[in-house]
Amino acid sequence: MEEYHSGDEVAFSPDDASNVVKELCLCVFIGQCIEGIVGGVDYSQNKVNQWTASIVEHTLTQLVKQGKPFKYIVNCAVMQKSGAGLHTANSCYWDTTTDGSCTVRWENRTMYCVVSVFAVAIAL
Amino acid sequence: MAFKWQEALCTSKTGFFIMANQPLPLSQETLAQFNRSMSTEPGASGPPRRRLGSISTRRSSKDQSKDQPHHRPLFLRSMTLPSSESSFLSPTVSNSHISMGKRFSFAGWHQGGRVSFSGLYLQQPIQEVYVENTYRMGPEPGCRFNASRTQQILQATLDSYLEGVCYSPDSCSQLCQMLADLVLSKLKDVNPPRYKVVCQVVVGQSGKQGIRVSSRSLMNPNTDNYTSAVFHNHSLFAVALVHGLYFE
Repeated sequence: MEEYHSGDEVAFSPDDASNVVKELCLCVFIGQCIEGIVGGVDYSQNKVNQWTASIVEHTLTQLVKQGKPFKYIVNCAVMQKSGAGLHTANSCYWDTTTDGSCTVRWENRTMYCVVSVFAVAIAL
Repeated sequence: MAFKWQEALCTSKTGFFIMANQPLPLSQETLAQFNRSMSTEPGASGPPRRRLGSISTRRSSKDQSKDQPHHRPLFLRSMTLPSSESSFLSPTVSNSHISMGKRFSFAGWHQGGRVSFSGLYLQQPIQEVYVENTYRMGPEPGCRFNASRTQQILQATLDSYLEGVCYSPDSCSQLCQMLADLVLSKLKDVNPPRYKVVCQVVVGQSGKQGIRVSSRSLMNPNTDNYTSAVFHNHSLFAVALVHGLYFE
């Protein structure tokens, strides 16, 4: 796998002020979300279902609390560390001036977690 | 509107007008006639142009293809026109001169563009496009995001593209991105209007590890939908998620 840093967040460059999603400061609390749910725990096949469900639910709830006029899509992939490789890519057909996405990578000793958030503006 | 014919010629910076700087004996009647004709046909110099046959100017390098093929360069024609004609012919002469003067602008001639008498090109105001209100509250009855058809397209794309492909750490990142773009391009064809599409592809090496991919979204269940497809072979696996969101 490519280099992963524990608790590392992928964020947009601060210079790109046109991206609305950055204003939400997503990446910081997504990392905190993940840390709170799976931080310090080893990968378990039985519990991974509820982990992923909790991560996406928690993230989505926090996003909705912001009260911004967006539709959200939260995707989460949790994979056990075994030396295998993992790649994610996304492509979107939307309005680049109003919509945006954020991807956060997190890892611990036994698993990788990749959370992607897409925010699509709605007209009000 | 009276105008100074000779002054207009002199102030122009084109080579053609150096030739035409010879004083043209235009009578007042001719001038008045011309002014009247110009006032009735503002900006139209079609008939005199046609009389001359082929007047075209290529002051700018652009719009070469827009010029009609029968147009010939301007200066060739102009030299054949006598400058001192009788009063009967002079209106047409002056008209054609005017039209050539109008067209021969150093600012660049634009098809259908308006020019002032001095030959300077008048900037066309950028016309804003006003879109009418459609009074539409939702997608049209047959134009919703079709989850089953999208799923078929998604599965077919994954199967056809990843058949027999082996995982390689160097190339799989590009493969992943290419898959996402390919899926998006295929969906754009079948995408109903006013729908935004978000597509995510996860590609991984097939091993003994466990993986779970989940997705949750906040959207309007009446108009929006999602679909997913999974591909798996001996060396890699791929998961594709597609969400279709209606946008007013």
